[in-house]
Amino acid sequence: MRGKVSRKTILSFIGPAVIGLALVGIAPLLYALWTSLHFFNLTQLRRVEFIGLENYWTVLTDGAFWQAMGRTFFLLGTALPLQLALGLMIALVLHQPGLTLLKTLARLSLVLPMATTYAVVGLLGQVMFNQKFGVVNQLLGGADINWIGDPTNAFIMIIFWDVWQWTPFVALVLLASLTMVPGEIEEAARLETKSKWTVLRYVQLPYLLPGLVAVLILRTADTLKLFDMVFTLTRGGPGASTEFISLMIQRVGFRAFDQGLASAQAIILLIITIILAQNYIRVFYKEVN
Amino acid sequence: MRLRHLLATTVLSTGLATAALADSDWSLAEAAAPYAGTTVDVVFLLRPGYEAIEAMLPAFEEETGIKINIIKHPYENALGEQVRDFVAQGDLDIALIDLVWIGNFAENEWIVPVDEIQAKFPDAVDPDLDMDDFFPLVLNAFGGWNDTIYGLPFDNYSGLLFYNRCMLEEAGFDGPPETWADLKDVYGPALTKDGKYAYALQSKRNETQSADSFARMLWPFGGSFLDDEFRSNLLSDESQAGLQFRQELMAYMPDGIVAYDHAETVNAFAQGDVAMITEWSAFYSTVVSPETSSVADCVEIAPEPMGPAGRKPALGGFSLAVASQADDDEQAAAWLFIQWATSKANAREYLERGGVPARQSVYQEDGLEDFKFVPALVESWQDGVPEFRPRFAEWPEITEIVQEWGTRMMLGEVTTEEGAQEIGTRMEAVLDAAGYYSGDKPLAQ
Repeated sequence: MRGKVSRKTILSFIGPAVIGLALVGIAPLLYALWTSLHFFNLTQLRRVEFIGLENYWTVLTDGAFWQAMGRTFFLLGTALPLQLALGLMIALVLHQPGLTLLKTLARLSLVLPMATTYAVVGLLGQVMFNQKFGVVNQLLGGADINWIGDPTNAFIMIIFWDVWQWTPFVALVLLASLTMVPGEIEEAARLETKSKWTVLRYVQLPYLLPGLVAVLILRTADTLKLFDMVFTLTRGGPGASTEFISLMIQRVGFRAFDQGLASAQAIILLIITIILAQNYIRVFYKEVN
Repeated sequence: MRLRHLLATTVLSTGLATAALADSDWSLAEAAAPYAGTTVDVVFLLRPGYEAIEAMLPAFEEETGIKINIIKHPYENALGEQVRDFVAQGDLDIALIDLVWIGNFAENEWIVPVDEIQAKFPDAVDPDLDMDDFFPLVLNAFGGWNDTIYGLPFDNYSGLLFYNRCMLEEAGFDGPPETWADLKDVYGPALTKDGKYAYALQSKRNETQSADSFARMLWPFGGSFLDDEFRSNLLSDESQAGLQFRQELMAYMPDGIVAYDHAETVNAFAQGDVAMITEWSAFYSTVVSPETSSVADCVEIAPEPMGPAGRKPALGGFSLAVASQADDDEQAAAWLFIQWATSKANAREYLERGGVPARQSVYQEDGLEDFKFVPALVESWQDGVPEFRPRFAEWPEITEIVQEWGTRMMLGEVTTEEGAQEIGTRMEAVLDAAGYYSGDKPLAQ
């Protein structure tokens, strides 16, 4: 069969996709790489010059960069386990037989947080967590908690919104994974033991792993890129308490206009993301036999 | 001297350019006739002064046939959007310039000096332009850079003390504090009780932190960002006194003041939760309108309190300048619009619609009793500091540093000395890289 398809035909099918990908994905990356090796400030374009790895050295020795990175991983380390635990709980509940209509409604409602624009979530947060007239303090019995202006509370608020928005995603992925478990095996296991933990651990978990790895990779990448919601909600403040790495890169690149330094930061972030993703796959991923 | 020279040059050139037209019957409609149908793109902010001119715009468009295409942005996005447009040689025909952006825009030659525009389009110069009528401080600070005028003052602010007369009277005061020390030591304790606060200082981590909060406490105490050699002056006794004062004053401000931007601060005042705020004159219309303020009848205005070094009120505002990337027709049309928007003839209507013109003549007219901010504003524009914030091209980088460490100081994460040290070191690194210390760049502000 293969011999009958000409090289030209193959290229005409694959070519546009490759060119599109190169234009959309590869070209900006190469440009960022070029920019990162130059002094490149949008407001000082006459001074553009090749400076080698100086931007990378500046980033790697900048305490503020690593603090922002630490903050980002702290967010990942707190929000992701919560999302996984809550998402798994929801998935297991929805995996139970019966109550079909309610489960369908629940599945539909799970899509809503994900469908909400990130920036809108931040704006909602500004209103809901307002110290004086916000609904959150009202729900807490008229509490006078300063959410946005206190560094710790602001961080908690970010975790809350991230968990609210992305737990449904985890739940839907894990629910899809649970449907992959062959019914007869699951049924047989339930006849063998009444322990739900045992069923989860030895029957369902192997089928959940590919989904979990996907969730880990996607949520890690998303958290490292988290920007819109935080930008509209706290703008990285108060102080630098919610300045995550993507906010820092945006600040350097588009508010201080130092595109060279921001590109170096972004390239380093990309490398860290790739290393993490590879490790996730190596450590967690196992094909289900 | 410099200001005088600048004004003399500008007035002279304006005079030369308009002399030929003095006897002619100049009209906006005739001057605009060659450019009818031209579209002029300009960035506006979401603030009262812009709504005022937008409401007046149909008259301009009808008379000239020039279409003004307004692109609205919140303040925080306005600089980035414009920089990207100018770098990419985009569509903007007019630059909206905050006084701290003028050095940046001028040094990059994104804007055209007024002299050049007038020489290029002599028929488009309004004989009644009268540059002398602008408040000299405002024209110099908002529209001038390096002895050249680029923009005409459009959306003009001075920091003012807005106070709630009713709350002050209830606490036994018959007037506002004259000094910052009085505000903290006398008015602060008396007015901070029962969930109400004596004062709120907008301090959110953006330009508000560096302009409204940090700089506001430097100048009245004799401090400044830089000394004459462009080295950090933030560790001087005077600067430290101001920054330390801000820390102490926080005892009389609402919790979480570092999350307060203009909206939160004006709202806290308008709802009667705060007795005094120091805000831009542009917010006057918001706090005296019964639709947006529950204390409209109690609002009074005074100049900002004095510190040991004098009044030194906050100075901020915008000018409009013709963009160099615009083609000839667009430049001429843009210039006609800028003249019209900042003209003496329209100043009164602009004021009545919620704007704050920079024309001296309008404030000498009768019937301004309803605009309580006028006397304080005029007084503030006599005492203001053009370099309230440095206006050179590096300010966008420096303000980010001030915003971060200024907020950290307020949160108590670092002392005022530690914060000033950090800002100073980082600020000097930026200035060094720019070439100020090597002599590559003149020490111009």
